[in-house]
Order: sequence, then structure tokens, then C-alpha cells
Amino acid sequence: MSISRDDILQIATLAKLSVEESELPELTKDMAQMIAFADAINAVSTEASDFDNINGLVNVMREDVVEPSFSRDDILKNAESQDDGFFLVKKRS
Amino acid sequence: MKYELVSGLETHVELATNTKIFCSCTTEFGGDQNTHCCPICIGLPGTLPKLNQKVVDYAIMAGLATNCEISPISKMDRKNYCYPDLPKAYQISQYDMPLCKNGYIELSNGRKIGITRIHIEEDAGKLVHQRGNTYVDYNRGGVPLIEIVSEPDIRSVEEAREYVEKLQMIMRYIGVSDCKMQEGSLRCDVNISLRPVGQKEFGTRTEIKNMNSFTFMEKAMKYEISRQADLLDSGQPVVQETLRYIVEEDRTESMRGKEDANDYRYFREPDLVTIEVPAEKVEKFRAALPELPDPKRHRYIEQLGLPEPDANLLVKYRKVAEFFEAASDGVKNPKNVANCIIGQIFRRVENEAQKEAFEISIPPEYLRDLVLLLDSGKIKMNLLKSTLEKMLDSGKPASEFISENDLAGIDPDTLKTLCTQALEQNPNAVSDYLGGKEKALKSLLGHVMKNSRGRADAMEAEQLLIALIRS
Amino acid sequence: MQTSYSQIHQIRQLLDSKQLSCSELTQKYLDQIEALNPSLNAYVKVTAEKAMETAKAVDRKIADGGHILPLEGIPMTLKDNISTSGIETTCCSKILSGYTPIYDATVWELLQNQNAVLLGKTNMDEFAMGSSCETSCFGGAKNPHNIDCVAGGSSGGGASAVAANLAAFALGSDTGGSIRQPASFCGIVGLKPTYGSVSRYGLIAYASSFDQIGPITTCVEDAALVYDAISLQDSMDSTCRGGSPASHALKDDIKGVKIGIVEEYFDGVRDDVRAQINEAIRVYESLGADIVRFSMPEIKYGLPVYYILACAEASSNLGRYDGIRYGYKTAHYDNINEMVRKTRSEGFGKEVQHRILLGTYVLSAGYYDAYYKKAQNLRGMIVKSFQNAFQNCDVILAPTVPTTAFPCGSAIQDPVETYQTDLCTVPVNIAGLPAVSIPCGFDLKQLPVGLQIIGNSFCEAKILNVAYQFEAAARTSSFQSVNMGVQL
Repeated sequence: MSISRDDILQIATLAKLSVEESELPELTKDMAQMIAFADAINAVSTEASDFDNINGLVNVMREDVVEPSFSRDDILKNAESQDDGFFLVKKRS
Repeated sequence: MKYELVSGLETHVELATNTKIFCSCTTEFGGDQNTHCCPICIGLPGTLPKLNQKVVDYAIMAGLATNCEISPISKMDRKNYCYPDLPKAYQISQYDMPLCKNGYIELSNGRKIGITRIHIEEDAGKLVHQRGNTYVDYNRGGVPLIEIVSEPDIRSVEEAREYVEKLQMIMRYIGVSDCKMQEGSLRCDVNISLRPVGQKEFGTRTEIKNMNSFTFMEKAMKYEISRQADLLDSGQPVVQETLRYIVEEDRTESMRGKEDANDYRYFREPDLVTIEVPAEKVEKFRAALPELPDPKRHRYIEQLGLPEPDANLLVKYRKVAEFFEAASDGVKNPKNVANCIIGQIFRRVENEAQKEAFEISIPPEYLRDLVLLLDSGKIKMNLLKSTLEKMLDSGKPASEFISENDLAGIDPDTLKTLCTQALEQNPNAVSDYLGGKEKALKSLLGHVMKNSRGRADAMEAEQLLIALIRS
Repeated sequence: MQTSYSQIHQIRQLLDSKQLSCSELTQKYLDQIEALNPSLNAYVKVTAEKAMETAKAVDRKIADGGHILPLEGIPMTLKDNISTSGIETTCCSKILSGYTPIYDATVWELLQNQNAVLLGKTNMDEFAMGSSCETSCFGGAKNPHNIDCVAGGSSGGGASAVAANLAAFALGSDTGGSIRQPASFCGIVGLKPTYGSVSRYGLIAYASSFDQIGPITTCVEDAALVYDAISLQDSMDSTCRGGSPASHALKDDIKGVKIGIVEEYFDGVRDDVRAQINEAIRVYESLGADIVRFSMPEIKYGLPVYYILACAEASSNLGRYDGIRYGYKTAHYDNINEMVRKTRSEGFGKEVQHRILLGTYVLSAGYYDAYYKKAQNLRGMIVKSFQNAFQNCDVILAPTVPTTAFPCGSAIQDPVETYQTDLCTVPVNIAGLPAVSIPCGFDLKQLPVGLQIIGNSFCEAKILNVAYQFEAAARTSSFQSVNMGVQL
């Protein structure tokens, strides 16, 4: 399938990536190449497969027993910005 | 033009498990921000979900209680969307193989509201917006939910309300959720479209998100119905969109801009394995379900001979019904027990939460013993009432307040003496009565009852008083 | 000067007999890392202090006559996508710069329980997306056999470190060949275990239904030893049921073992590589194995199936890097949405962004059926095809890579062409099977050639036994260690 600039912009929006106007021509070319590569599977006809999860396990579950949570300091440790125990995203920066 | 409402509901119910759906953090409501969190529920890189067995069990119970089929095989899927309250940027949910499907709930008007499906999923965290800044708390992130999706079978605001009330009642009965709308453990998205009466095709629908009170749900629906009717009347199209209800202004408004066109890119969650529910397990759950409100109500009316309004009041809360059933066990006329609960006891449990908990100072056996005394004619209704008050005040059994003497009742001679005394001591009342004031008789009766310390039968005494006055 | 590799059993013997203390040994490794890493770029972080601490604890235990575990005191490394509490773990991506996990990956916990000595974290392609290690934000790891060539990828740092004697073993991860391909390029042993035999908890996900952690070692015996130590059932990973021990089975006779040779695995394989594989087949014949030749047409679609499904999963797995909870966050923005988009575009490298976009595309409305669903169906067909194959043979022999290590810089120039490198490795990940790559000779430029031995699910003992027998018969001609690093 071919892919247009607009397709790229639409996908980038879904993927939460920002694409500069200047990057578009090359990105469109790269993506077209990748999609052409993926298109190889169009050549083969497939029957619907009963392919399930890869190792066929079922019903792996745990008991409903509370374990201590992590300390809030640890939870927030890697956050670039925090305030009063919350993760913080400032309005602008 | 006259329009008919076509509405379907998506109801999110928080399950009353101890732990979250994919980690062992507590689900307790409240708690300081980000203190019920671990690497799994804040989505740290490399973490994997661990499915809580109880969530699956509760969803199966919810499905059975709403007449659903339970899928022998189901799986979890990822619903991808990026928002700060969703730490993995996908919600683990169920897409094309939900745990339960094809159920219904029957309304009091006899209409059945179809339930398309019930699936399990995780809740998101909470965002607090302040001065344009966003504060994120993940305590609620990963709390288990079931989403109950109805068919577009609802035709009025009243039906919508009753449907949600019934869901709430059923979920509480089977103990899978406390369904507290004010705490957000029951929330509804309401789909609304209108069509001219008589038309078969559905109109364009809008969806009002996150209704968390009955009042607001009704108001929002009414607003949206009239908004759509106005649009249709003036020949304008209804735009399919997601709305939020603004309480302060009693109106709905569009939630999303066009740029965030949703495409959830569902695919199977590779970190979790297939869920199989064998038929034996379903039958085990079915057998263990408590009697649900509707069958219970029918039984109260048909077998116990209760009037419908009484039956409705008693079945609304599971603990009340349980109390009633224990207290009326072996009682000749369960209506007497019902009267005690609906009258005297309900006065002491005023709000919904208290009725739900139904913490009463006496066990149901005490009430039964009291009513049995009435059944056997050993005490009269007025003594029963006054004794019950004392029992409720003190938490003690009837035997503490009723002496052997009381149980002996009152012999006809004593009753006659008491009546004669009352007439002699209240000549004014007698003449009032003779003058046509019916009320005066009540005051005379009061004297007799008082002097008999409640043992006299009011009906008997009244008749005797009339006879004595006229003689 | 011809030198030899530092194998685990040799180190074990030196430590247990107290000829060398663990502290001395660890110091030797740290010194060599300091000397050689600037040119090899195998390590992105060296944990010297922690290593010495563990080494001292091991020395005390040995002195006290405590019970010594198989990997006690063995100097090793972890790929930088394996979470280590308190030690920065970045997947060699700018977006995780400064991220320090608050929990340990299960494999690291298991190794810590044995007092294995962690020397540091090793280089990799960013988020394990690549075949050259060159998409790393720290630059690529070099091949000790020829430092103008790549170490391979994505676990290039681990392979480079082990091949250069800068660690006795490394843990890598293999999503489409990321353990086997660099092991092949660097002339050492790399085992990709059966999906579900080693816990993925703490492995920063690339493609969840393909990823698997495994050992990179200098010999088959070591691979079995490390595999036995990490292939345990884990309640933190629902897809992991553990494996069965392989170390004990290495010395079994392979007379009558049926070895499958699949036509399609040789499509596009370079002649000098093919020659070495054919030579290996002859060795097996001489050991009494039966050679069975057949065709598996479905595996021709392995590459596109792999790229579609792995990128789809990656696009979802990598959605969480938004700058809010950990890692890089853009400096300037006007609203949250812009913050997230700029953070991701500045934080992820080009190849990663390409794969996220492809993955988003194949899952999006309108394309899902043509790509994702179809690829999933094909995955089912490939799984079946392997199931049928293993009715007719015990293991399958194939090249690990159609080529040998390529010059630095060439992969970056043509990413899609580079995907072809994974031709022989991806089918195993698609089907969740175990496979090991062992050195089987050299190409015309004296770069190592890898032989891949593929088995049925949970048959690690069998493939390692078959690998061990080749190694025992051909080690002197096919293995050649490099003249650098720690010499025992």
C-alpha cells in the first residue's frame, strides 16, 4: 500500500510523535520503503489461524491478597517534576 | 414533531476486591496521593501485569446475576490511547472476547433491557488541574472495573434510572461492588439518540460521559433530549460526538477536539494468557448466587402475602431482606414483621448507607420472638410496639420488658373496671362524645390503655367503652 | 600470543581452590574494561564499586567454607534493558536517560542470589531495535575480531564484552535474533531460550510476545549453566513457566539424532558462510547424526511477519515514555500534548520512531486486517510448520546469519536492507522456539561464522547437547579467541 504525507501526519498524531515539515519528505520515503517490505505478506493467502498466545498457557492468576505498596518517595523518584506527592506537569515550560 | 428516545448505557462498576486488577496494591478509597502504588501500576518499564483471580470471579457473578452467558474462553486486549492518567498509554481491557454476553435486566414495566456484554478492565489514575498545571495521582490506577454495556433498549429517562438502580441493587446483592456513585465506584456513559415516533431506524447518537449521580444523569439526559429535539425540529443534523455535562449550567458540551480522532488500535495483550472458564465453574458460581431482588420480591408477594410496596422496600437492601427473613421465620403473619421493620426500625436507619449496612441493636431472632407473642395472642399490638421501642433502645430481648403478668393478658372483669373508672373520672369527655365528638372516645381509651399498662386490647376496650356510655 | 577464553568452570576452579580471590579476579576484569572499553564501547556503565563489594562477600563466604553456588563470584554483565534497582537502566536511549529502576528484574534477582559479580551494563541498539548495536545513543559496540566491524545487535555490547574477555558471561535479550546474531558475529555462544522459559519481568519490553532473555557465553557448557540458573518459573511473569535443566545432558551421544536441514534457511546466504555450515553438517554426519533435508516455504514470510508484529507491539510498549513519571522530558512546551510529542520526538532515535510509526500504522483502523491480522495468521502457519518439522527431525541446523560482521556504519545507511540480516533468526522468535548459535569457522576475511541449532519448545537440553558435541569435535578449528581482555 502506498502512504501519503497526510497518512504519516495522522499516524504520528496517534503515536504522539511530532514531525517537522522538513522531515516529512524523507520520512515518507522511509515509511514507504518499510511498508513495501511489509507488503511481502500480501502475496500469500492465509486461512484464519487459531493462533493464540505463544506458549498456550491458560488461567495464570494470583490470589487477591494485599501486599505493601512502594514508598511514595520511590514512586516519584524518577519524575522530572513533582509537587506535594503528585507527579506534576506544568502548564508550560 | 414527536420523538422517541433511544438510549443505551455503558456502566462502569468498581469491583470490591482487596487488591488492584494487575498488582497487589490495595484498592482502598482515599489515602494520600500516590501511596497505593508500585512499579506495576505506575507502568515502570519492564513490569508485567498479574491478573487477580477475584476480578474474573466477580465478573462471572455479575454476568450470571444479569442473565448473561459466560464465555468459556476469553482474553485480555490492549486499548491504546495516550493520556497522563494512563501510565502505560494503554488500558488493559477486553475487546472482542468479553467474559460475559447476551444478558438482560427486567424493569418494573415488564420491559427487558438487553445487556450486550460485561468485560473486565483497569481504571485510570486521577488528574487534578490547578492553574493550568496538571497533578497526577495513580492510587486509582489499576483498580478493577467491569464495564456493563446495554443494548439501545432504553426508551425514557425513567427507564434509564431504573436500569441503573437495578444494576446497583444487583451488584450490591451479590457483593461484587458497593456501587457508591459519589465515590465513583459506579459511573455511567449514556448514549442518546432520537427518532420520530414510529420510525424504525436509529438517529445519530451522542454520548454523555461519566455520570456519577442519578440526579445529574436525569438532568443531563433531559437536557440532551431537548437539545437534539430542537436541532431535529429546525432541520439541523445531530453531530455524533462525546459530551460532558456541566452541572453548574445544566447543559452538555463537546469533550474532544477533532485532532484527537480516536483509534484505539486494540490488539491482544501479550503479557497475559488465555482465560478459560469451564462449565462446572460457571455452575458452581450459579449455585452459590444469593436469591436476587426480583425473585425475592415475587416470593414475598406470592408466598408471604406481603403487599407490593412492602416487598419493594424490604428487597431493596440485601441485609434488610435477610433480617426480615430471619425475623419472620415461623411467624404466622410475616406482614407483622414487615410492619415493624418498615415502621419502627426504618425510623432509626435514615439514609441509604445505613440501610445498606443495616446495623440494628437487636438480632432478628429478638423481633421474631416478640412477633410470636403477638401471634399466640399473648400480647397485643400496642404492647408489641412499645416493647419494640425499648428493645431497639437497649438491644435487649422482649423478655426483659414483658412480665409474666403482662403475658397473662387482662381478664374481662378488670377491663370493665378500668373502663368504668375512665368514664367516672372524665365526665367531660363522656358528654363531649355524646355531643358528637368522636375524638373524645380516643382520650377515654387512652386512659384505659395507660391504666392497663398497655395490656388491654384497644379494639375490645373501645367497644366496651361505647357500650358502657350508651348503657 | 594465542590466548584462551575465560570459561566459567575454569574461574570456578580457580576461586574454589583459592588460587585467586574473587576480589583479585574482579579487579583484573575492571582493569581490562578500563583499558579496552574505550575502543570496544561494550560497556555503557561500569559498576566497579558494587562489583568489588560482591567480590569481597564471595571471598568471605569461600574463606568461611560456605555453600558455594554455581555462579558465585563469576564476573558478568547485563544488557542495558534489564532493570537493576539503583543502577541506571536506559535501553541506550536518550528517552530513559537518568532512569534508575526501583526494582530488580527477576533474572538479576536470581543472579544476585548466587552472588554473581555484576561488572556493568552493556551496550545495545536503542530499545533492542537494530542488528548492529549502532542505534545506541552511546554509539555502537565494536567487534573484538575486527574493531572496524560491528559487534552485531542488538545485544552487541554483551557479545563484544564476552568475546573480548571483559566478562565471563552476559545476559542479553533476543526478539528477532538479538542474542544469536551478535554471538555469531563475535565468534561466541548465544542461547535464545524457549518463549516462557525465562522470566521477562524487568526486561524493558520491545515486542512482548517475542522477547526472551538468554545467556551469551564463550562455550556451550557455560550457556547451559547460566540457562539453568535463570530458567525458573516466576509469579511476576504470567507467560513464564520455567525450563528444565540442560547442564546434565551435554555429554549424551548424538548417534542417530535426526538433524533437519531446511532449504529456505539457505536462501541468500553468502557462499563463504554456506561453506562453513556445510562443513559443520559433515562433522555431524561423522558423529553419527542422520541428516534429513526438507522445505518450509512459510518461513520465507518470517521477516515481514516479524517486523509487522514486533513493531505493532513496540508501538504500544513504547507509548508510556511521555516524560511524566521517568526519563527525559523536553525543556520547552506550551501544553501537555506538545510536551509529550516533543519529549518523544527528541528522546527516541530515528530507527525507534520509524518502528513506532510502522507499528501504529499496521494496527490502525483500515490497515489492521491487511497487516496485523494477516501477519498473525501467518504466525500461526509458521508455528504449525515448525510443529510438522519436528515430527521429522530432532533439531534443525541453519546459519545464524546469512553473512558475517559488517563494517561499522553500513547498517545505518540502509536500515531496510539490514533487516535481511535477521532472515535466519526471526522464524524462531515467531514460533517461540529455542535456538543456540555457536561458532563454526571463519569467512574469507577471518570473521567468525555462526551455526544455529534450533529445537522444539522447551528442548534446550537437546539443542545444547547437539551444540556441545560439535564444539567438542571441532573447537580447535572453529573457535578462535581474540588476543585481549582478561587472561587466566
